[in-house]
Amino acid sequence: MDSGPGPGDRDSLVVTGLGARLIPRQGPALDGEVLPWLKSRKIRKYMGKQDELAVIASGEALRMAGVAGGDTNERVGVYLCVGYIPFERADIEALTSHSIRSGIFSMELFSTAGIEQVNPLLTFRCLPNMPIFHVSLNFGICGPYFVTYPGIGQFYLALERAVSALRAGEIDQALVGGVADQNNFLVDFHFERQPAGRRGMARQDGAAALCLETRASAERRGAPPKAELLGFEIGYRPHDPLRDVLPLEEACMLRASRFAGAGEGELGPCSLAAALHGAVQAAGSGELMHSAKTPDGFIVASRWRLA
Amino acid sequence: MKRRVAVTGMSVVSPLGSDLREFRERLLAGESAAGPITVFDPAALPTRIAAEVKAGEAVIDDRKIGFGVAAARAAAEHANGAGAPLVAHYPAGSGGLSLGIGLELFSMPDMVQFLQRQGAAPAKHPLSFLQTPSDICLHLISREHGLGRAPLLHVSACAASTDAIGLAFRMIQAGERDWMLVGGTDSMINPMGVAGFCKLQAMTTRNDAPKRASRPFDRDRDGFLLGEGAGVLVLEPLDEARSRGARIYAEIRGYGNSFDAHSISDPHPEAEGAVLAMRRALHSAGMAPEEVGCVNAHGTSTPKNDPVETLGIRRVFGAHADRLKVTSTKSMVGHLISASGAVEVIAQIVCAAEGWIHPTINLEHPDASCDLQYVRAAPCKSDRPVFLKNSFGFGGQNASLVVQVNPG
Repeated sequence: MDSGPGPGDRDSLVVTGLGARLIPRQGPALDGEVLPWLKSRKIRKYMGKQDELAVIASGEALRMAGVAGGDTNERVGVYLCVGYIPFERADIEALTSHSIRSGIFSMELFSTAGIEQVNPLLTFRCLPNMPIFHVSLNFGICGPYFVTYPGIGQFYLALERAVSALRAGEIDQALVGGVADQNNFLVDFHFERQPAGRRGMARQDGAAALCLETRASAERRGAPPKAELLGFEIGYRPHDPLRDVLPLEEACMLRASRFAGAGEGELGPCSLAAALHGAVQAAGSGELMHSAKTPDGFIVASRWRLA
Repeated sequence: MKRRVAVTGMSVVSPLGSDLREFRERLLAGESAAGPITVFDPAALPTRIAAEVKAGEAVIDDRKIGFGVAAARAAAEHANGAGAPLVAHYPAGSGGLSLGIGLELFSMPDMVQFLQRQGAAPAKHPLSFLQTPSDICLHLISREHGLGRAPLLHVSACAASTDAIGLAFRMIQAGERDWMLVGGTDSMINPMGVAGFCKLQAMTTRNDAPKRASRPFDRDRDGFLLGEGAGVLVLEPLDEARSRGARIYAEIRGYGNSFDAHSISDPHPEAEGAVLAMRRALHSAGMAPEEVGCVNAHGTSTPKNDPVETLGIRRVFGAHADRLKVTSTKSMVGHLISASGAVEVIAQIVCAAEGWIHPTINLEHPDASCDLQYVRAAPCKSDRPVFLKNSFGFGGQNASLVVQVNPG
């Protein structure tokens, strides 16, 4: 396990800000919740659900940490894991229903009528690098960055990159987050075609982010630590995704009791940050242990001490 | 103590061929790979041309996955062409992968079939029907090459494979990884990809003259030419490469990335993000701007990118900008999106290894705001071993690399 400096050491890494926005499976939409975080209301027309979730969670984490908010910030890095690309059934049906001739796909109709049914901004709202764009724009962050996808294993790689950049002195603070817009047609389709053991529990939408920095940096800024990263580990099993069936197993323990505060469903790439956010809000002290074995071959674990 | 990082293997699956010698010769000959789209019927779309790969490996019904698997295999073979094999030299399972990859768009014919409740043909793998998850490519490559370290997947759009190389460079430099396959793969030459770019009015519509369509920095440019393919490099510590007897083609010297934090589709008008990425790459390399001889530009042939990139280069290099040679590989192979950075780095290395910089074709009348020393019409001699590579992504993600060819 990558443990780095000992607990409490000035070079140890602490969490000074946390933010999360989880949407219950039958819960209401985000409505205008993102508006207070936007530099300009006009940008919202380009935003999909995953973008709004990422901005809300990141905004909360940065505000709690007292970071960013200026015009530009060159010493903050963003390390973000985004879930599978979301497409809603209504968008797809509008596209396909105008692209069919005699029961089969017609390229000619698609090119002339079908594609005209698609909102020109749809692409912007679905691309996996758009959440990180909106975070950089609205909080004036100029990088560096690492943006990856699609699950909790890759979130740990984002965490690893953030830790590496902090230890190398490339940045002063790292915003590490995950965002999952997964209650939609295409992501549902993807999971439902998987063998049963790979599907996990019901999926939930959400985003969560944490602001990480050295204890020395936090002390210098007068930012109280909310948690400390004690160590993390990333393993991987090379496998054939077309043949091998690796199940999803995820556990999150707080003081040796199962912690159920993170959400009611499987949160994909934001599960750890959401659990940490929930644990800090609920308990305030103790140790959080998170581990997961994922269908894409990742074996990850981390330990956090709550301040 | 930072380790030096060597390039010891390379491979492309490109619109100008998949053999490195052929690729270099066609680049130096200034050959355009553009032509009519053949992989589907684009007759009713505004753009009907692209730079296609003419042969590929059909691992699964998703061209980019086959390209990536094939390029990774050939790059590993290339690296093993001299000296002890990688897997014999390094501990088992210690290899890693860092790959930029394109979007998991859905197949329109499959979608129609699915919505009409017809389902997939029995012979088709469930993961290849309707939409193939892009991360499959990384797992296939990791398994084939026994790469036991968790693979890094980059989705920073057009900057993705430059980020993939840069981050791997950092990890090897810091001793976090032993050796890595790095690069990118992409193909958006499909109905959804091409129609989507048409909708954004981002591509050239010079359908009657495809070979003249991609014209970076030219006043008559009208958008980018879509390409496809993959580029993969083998990176390892320079001292380890020497000890296993590998041939060393280049050294990655520096890397930087940044956000524009400006606009969803337009580059920052003062090139702030691009300048930051280039400066961070030079700082990471510990080099002064004057040590760079050439810039392999992002050079998309779009109205907005080329002048802003020119401005950014001027801001970073100052008076030295007028002594730099600037070229764009996209003038010949088009824009390979997530694979573009890796393929262009390889293009630059294979030409420079023979003492050349390939031309930017179709640059007949430089735009008034594009006033650098572009390599036009014919290749020119490469008199300095260090080049800088730029890649700027849609959404304001910028990445730059500093590379030295034939390091001492």
